[in-house]
Amino acid sequence: MEVKNVEFAYDCEKVLKGISFKVESEKITTIIGANGCGKSTLFNVMTKNLKPQRGSVTLNGESIEKIPIKKFARLVSIVHQYNTAPSDISVEVLVGYGRLAYKKAFKNDKYENEKYVTRALEATGITNIRKKKISELSGGQRQRVWIAMALAQNTKVLFLDEPTTYLDIKYQIEILRLIKKLNEEYKITIVMVLHDINQAVYYSDNIIAMKDGEIIGQGKAKEIITGELIYETYGVRLDVEEIGNKKFVITV
Amino acid sequence: MVINMNKKVLISFITVIFLLLLLFVVSVNTGSIKVTYTELLKGLFVEYNENVETIKDLRFPRIIIAMLTGGALAVSGVLFQSVLKNPLADPGIIGISSAAAFVSTFIVGFLPQLFFLSPLFPFIGGIEACVLVYTLSYKGGFSPLRIILVGVAVNAVFTGLSSALTTMSGQNYEGAAAIVNANISMKTWEDVRLLALYVVIGLVFSLFMAKGCNIMALEDKTIRGLGVNVTRLRVLISGAAVLLASITTAVAGTISFIGLIVPHIGRLLVGNNHKLLLPFSAALGALIMLGADTAGRVIAYPYEISPAVIMSVIGGPFFIILLKRSDKTYGS
Repeated sequence: MEVKNVEFAYDCEKVLKGISFKVESEKITTIIGANGCGKSTLFNVMTKNLKPQRGSVTLNGESIEKIPIKKFARLVSIVHQYNTAPSDISVEVLVGYGRLAYKKAFKNDKYENEKYVTRALEATGITNIRKKKISELSGGQRQRVWIAMALAQNTKVLFLDEPTTYLDIKYQIEILRLIKKLNEEYKITIVMVLHDINQAVYYSDNIIAMKDGEIIGQGKAKEIITGELIYETYGVRLDVEEIGNKKFVITV
Repeated sequence: MVINMNKKVLISFITVIFLLLLLFVVSVNTGSIKVTYTELLKGLFVEYNENVETIKDLRFPRIIIAMLTGGALAVSGVLFQSVLKNPLADPGIIGISSAAAFVSTFIVGFLPQLFFLSPLFPFIGGIEACVLVYTLSYKGGFSPLRIILVGVAVNAVFTGLSSALTTMSGQNYEGAAAIVNANISMKTWEDVRLLALYVVIGLVFSLFMAKGCNIMALEDKTIRGLGVNVTRLRVLISGAAVLLASITTAVAGTISFIGLIVPHIGRLLVGNNHKLLLPFSAALGALIMLGADTAGRVIAYPYEISPAVIMSVIGGPFFIILLKRSDKTYGS
């Protein structure tokens, strides 16, 4: 997936000012930046929810604007930050919605659908609660259900918008480990937006740092993070320490 | 997806259908003309009986219209609540019915020669109101409160216009007033046929939309991410909802709140799965509307209270209760 010179403006306010980068296949790419830096807008442009005024986003060389949404849903799955569902819907029915993109007018491959739903439930570790209602689940379990729904779409690319918000630290780590596992075991290309710098650095291969609608730094997570970049991105001076082979930003 | 009928759901369905049959039987024999049930059956199927003929010509159409109206409005309410993601939406409250009534009144008053096309015009009126509510209340998403506020305004405008028209079109006053005041006492078998045709089309179409309604409960962005065209789905479901609401209004007048109360009770009893909620609401709507009409005939006898009035009196407080609880009724 490649983003080329993307510009986007709400009314007169330019939110993205010529963004270009490549998403490395089968790696985890994380977009970081302060509130209002345009990362959510970029996320929406890359997931076909917003059309850029200039530039393009291409997937396997084809502009995503030209890909019909049903086909797009078989190539890219998305977990949004905020989700709702009827309180009494069961986990397996909800995950089953991930197969809507494969729905045909008269012939539906039930075996195939069931296979991917089961796989998605197993991959996210929620097989044991598949009959439960959404309202009976904890926040962490619910987030797994949304990820499972995306996995049932059986795509090569998975987008996640701040998948750890609203969660306790234990669930945050569980979700991030799950994402890492999906990337390693299923070779899914992952693009996500994260708030926590350390989680971004620790769990990602590549980092895109944004400020005021522009990319101010991109590269390997380990190499790119410096006190300077943190200051530029967030406007606050923080120490960056190396422990073992890993870099950590001291966020206090 | 297999429909899981648990006990509560099954009992709810059986109870409502049983009550509906019971009320039907009671309602047939409620009013100034009374016959025994043996006479009634004989009169209907075996021999001529003047009283039974009167009942057949006056009371039966009215009862069937009450049931069709109730069922249609309840289903229309379910559909609107689904597409607007708002448990407070009701075709009456958001102005769909009053717009349909306005266009009907206009045709009756000024272009009576076009009356043979009558189902078409209220539908256009309903669509118009629907488009107005959608465009005026959409701001990157539907805020429940904004929809209601815009709907109330749209409703007020069309109700006002209808009243103005009714006053202006002197000679046809009564026909037009019947639409505005929801008077179903003088209905004929002709009205029944007209209403039945479109209501059945609308209901069948709605049932096909059941899965779509279920999916609508997710966020629009999420639905799009699943490869579903949200706008097209919304237009289809809204179309069915407007058809049901406007055709009912054209025949039976503006009736508010039934599309609000019935789906709400329905959700409590059979849950949020529209494959169950839609048929259940149709049956319960028919029951409640027939109940309101029958009660209206009895309460102030020999005067009649319109079912619309009864629904407003009961529905108003119900709406306020729902409004106060609205944060809890939706979401994950």
